[in-house]
Parts: sequence; structure tokens; C-alpha cells
Amino acid sequence: MDSKHLSGQAAYRGSKDFTQQQVRSANATGFGAAADDYMERGIDLNEELIRNKPATYFFRMKGDAMKEAGIFEGDVLIVDRSVPLTNGRIIVAVLNGELLVRRFHKNFSSAFLIPENNRYKTINLAEFSDFVVWGVITYTIHPQG
Amino acid sequence: MKAIVDCNNFYCSCERLFVPQLDRKPIVVLSNNDGCVISRSDEAKTSGVQMGVPLFEVRSLLQQEGITWFSSNYELYGDLSWRVMETLRLLMGEARVEVYSVDEAFIDLDDMGTEALAALGLSIRERVEQWTGIRVSVGVGPTKTLAKLANRLAKKDKLRTRCVMVLSDLPAIETALRKTAVGDLWGIGRRYARKLQEQWSIYDGWQLASVSEEFAHAHLGGVVGKRLVRELRGIPSKEMEEERTQKKMIATTRMFGRKVYALTEIKEAIATYVARAAEKLRRQYSAATELSVFIIAHEEGSRFGKAYSDHCILTNPSADTGVLLHKALALVETLYRSGPAYKKAGVLLGGLVPASSRQASLFDQGEATDDRAGLMLAIDNINFSLPLQSASRHDSILRFAATGTNRAWKMKQARRSARYTTRWRELPVVH
Repeated sequence: MDSKHLSGQAAYRGSKDFTQQQVRSANATGFGAAADDYMERGIDLNEELIRNKPATYFFRMKGDAMKEAGIFEGDVLIVDRSVPLTNGRIIVAVLNGELLVRRFHKNFSSAFLIPENNRYKTINLAEFSDFVVWGVITYTIHPQG
Repeated sequence: MKAIVDCNNFYCSCERLFVPQLDRKPIVVLSNNDGCVISRSDEAKTSGVQMGVPLFEVRSLLQQEGITWFSSNYELYGDLSWRVMETLRLLMGEARVEVYSVDEAFIDLDDMGTEALAALGLSIRERVEQWTGIRVSVGVGPTKTLAKLANRLAKKDKLRTRCVMVLSDLPAIETALRKTAVGDLWGIGRRYARKLQEQWSIYDGWQLASVSEEFAHAHLGGVVGKRLVRELRGIPSKEMEEERTQKKMIATTRMFGRKVYALTEIKEAIATYVARAAEKLRRQYSAATELSVFIIAHEEGSRFGKAYSDHCILTNPSADTGVLLHKALALVETLYRSGPAYKKAGVLLGGLVPASSRQASLFDQGEATDDRAGLMLAIDNINFSLPLQSASRHDSILRFAATGTNRAWKMKQARRSARYTTRWRELPVVH
């Protein structure tokens, strides 16, 4: 066992999973062969959105607490639990047994969960004993139209 | 050295992952058809709920103690199990990990120094919990059997052990074996435990480790018993097995939701199980060469009931639901006797071969040349990707007509939680 195994951040661990057979090639015209050399598999969104599949979970946004951050009701939130928490990131938090989406902010003396909507209050984590970070949000998916 | 990583109250942990209100609350998960308790949170254990008790026996206790119960949600557990195992494979390397059951895996640590084991165990536990949200315990010992023992002791005293225990030197092993009853050792069933105690006054693991190999061979099931005793002494005798990612047999069996009398209903049930099993078959790119079917009649006063079963050989390996259905339904028709109430049925697909190795045989009857692989793929893709109506949320969208439309025989799953990780429509909600 060396440190490479434990660092865990080296290789791609996404969900790319396909075989050569799935690549469409020849066609009925008989002109398939030349184009085959340039045949690609097409773009797979999983590759971009999921860096670490066993640690990645999807959630559904309810409410408008984060609308100023561009997260709206019904959006899909992608959470990667292996991403370390850093200041200013939007997270899924567990507070009083509830799952909340907020921006995490910490200064020298205290930590806060900040909504992105002035109708909601900033939460001072000093007032809660059972705060847990569920995971860091890496992407959100919002439909247009 | 070997380690075993075992998820703590796995099904209960899965239920809690997206419902944090349930943390530190007593919960239990029931088996198929809401039959018996198969997983208990620590709080439920403390409240006195026993493993394996039927719901009807424990219902008042659950109510009285405010214990929440869930129907089993195998899609959720299956996905989380894969995440735990995949995390272990990424952390330790695929070759070291042997998945032993849905919630346990052995890890081969033979080339590692003993000094680092405790720290390694802790980092495995922390990594799995960080990535997947599932808590595990890690037991390490010179053999699989002692690793299991270490794991058991780690779980018993979670606060002190932090869910990790290493048994690497003889004094530690002796202490552990002395405080463990023979019946609590891995591989000793209730019957052998009683025999050991009553006939030879062997009560704890240390006593058992001290018997001769000849004694073990003679009285504890031959080679199996001998191996067990060697393992207790720290001599590895159950080696790591190559991981079987592809199953050699696929079974789908269920209790019915109520007593079933009519052949048509049994055929619908069998057809549904065939469709399900065939789907699993295709998912691992296999084809079956044997198919067997059984139905079990209800017998008053008996827990098991009378079983009727039959099987057939497929000359052409197949993963085609249509082909398998045809065979299975023919078998049920010959098995079925009218009169008794039936309570359970099942389908087994065996003799599995890789789907790609199928060849047209000289004696091919033209039945299973299987140009329908494309059709099957299309059906699977549609069933997997389309959201389901809530009214029939256990059913697939595209089904063979033989699987029925009414399905009154379907099993009870009164309180199954959402399939949070496998269905778009059932994602956990955050505010």
C-alpha cells in the first residue's frame, strides 16, 4: 500500500462504460469505411458531470432559497461527497434532521449557511449542535424553456 | 493478514442516508413481502427487537417503542452496495477485494506490515463513509475467520474501537477468542454450537482453537471443521476467492402477497419472474442453458410447504424473455395441481454462458437463434429509463402480455422508501 492508493484523487472514476461494439460503424451505402477512422462515440455527459461515480449522488431542488445562485425549484443537483469542503462552496447540509442547500461560509470565529435569496435568513452554525455536511454540490442542471 | 469490511446495519443505514431525521431513531427493515425483520438499527436492537421475527409478532413492540419499519428496497440497497464495493476497489486495488455478500467484502493484506494495519483500517472506514455515506466496521486478523471475529468485536463496542479492530498478535487473539462463545464464531451454526457445548464442554473460541485437527475432522464436518480450527489458530485455510462479478445462476423467487389458487395467476407470476431474471441475465451479458421453475403450496402448520419443481435444458443458450417465457410456462402447466393454495414461486436460470459465445448449432430448431437481442436491448433501455407511474411503481412499462395486467398476487411492500439513487422521479429532495 502506498500513498497513491490512499490519495484517491488520481484517476478518472466516472461512469464511462462502453464497448467497441456499441460504436456504430458501417452503413448500407458501403462508404462507411473511410469515415470509420474518424468515428467517435459521441459526447457522454456523465464524463463531464461525474468525476467519481461511487461518491456522486443526485438531488432535486425544492423551493427558491438559492435562486440568486441560479438554482431553482426542480433543478437537479449533483453532489460529489469526495470533494473536500472549502469556503464559499454550495453544499447539501444536514441541519436538525433536514436536508438544506446553502452556501457555506466560514470566518476566523464562526461558520454560516448562507441562502441566496433575501427572504431567507443566514444560519449561524454556532447555534446548532448537529450540523453535518452531506456533500459538496459540483453541478446543477437547469432546464431552459 | 486479511480484513473484512462490513457495513453497519446495512439496510437501515441505506434508509437513513437520505432521511437524516431517522439518525439515532430506532428503525427496522423487513424482508420480502413485509415478512420478517432483517435489519435493525442499534436503537431498535436496544429496544429488544430480535432478528428474524415476523412482523405480526413484533408489531405491537414496534408501535409501543415508536420504531419505524420499512419494506425492503433492493434497488436502493443494491446501488449503495455497489458504491461501497467500488470505493474499496478504488482504494485498495481491484485484485485485493473479494465481495462476500451485499454488505461485506474481504480484503487481502498479505503483503502488508502489521504496524500499519490499524491506521489502514481506520482510513478504509473513513473513506467509505466519506464517499458513500455508509458506515462500515473493519476487522483485521491473520485469517478470514479471525478477521470476522475482530469485526464482530469492533461492532460490539463502537465508541471504544471506532469500528476498527486488529487482531495481530497471539495475546490479542487469545483474549478475543476467550470472550467469544463458539456459536458466535463464523462457520459454527446453532447445531454444532450445541453439540460442542453439550458433548465436549467446549464453550468459547479459545477452547475450540485448542482441539486437535483430527477431532475437528471427526466431529465438525470433516475438512470444513479442520479448516475452521486451523483458521482460529491463525493458519489461513480459507483463501481469497476470485471475485465472481458474473453470477453462475440467477434466481428470482418471491412470496405471493396472498394465497393464490388459479393457474392463470401463477402463470402471470412466473412470467414476471422470468422477465425479471432475463433482464438480470442480459445485464451481465449472459445467456442461460438451463431453466427451472418451482411453486410452493401452502401447508397448514408448516413453515415450508410442499414444493413442486421441474427444469428443462435449452439447446441454444438464450437471454430472450420470449423464449424463456415459453419454456417456463410450459413447465408450470405440468407442475400445477388445482386445489392447494400456493404461496411462493420462483424461476432459476442456470448453466450461464457469455452471450457472445452462443453459436448456431447444427441441430438448431430455429427457436433461439436470437436475432431479437436488439429487441431485448430496446425493451431494457425503455424500462430502465422511463419514469414509472406511481400506481404500479414496481412494474416495468414494457412487459410481455403473459406477465398479466392485474397482478393481484404481487407481494406486499407497504412501506418501501423511494429508489433515491436509481430513478429520476424519485430523487431525494432538498430545500
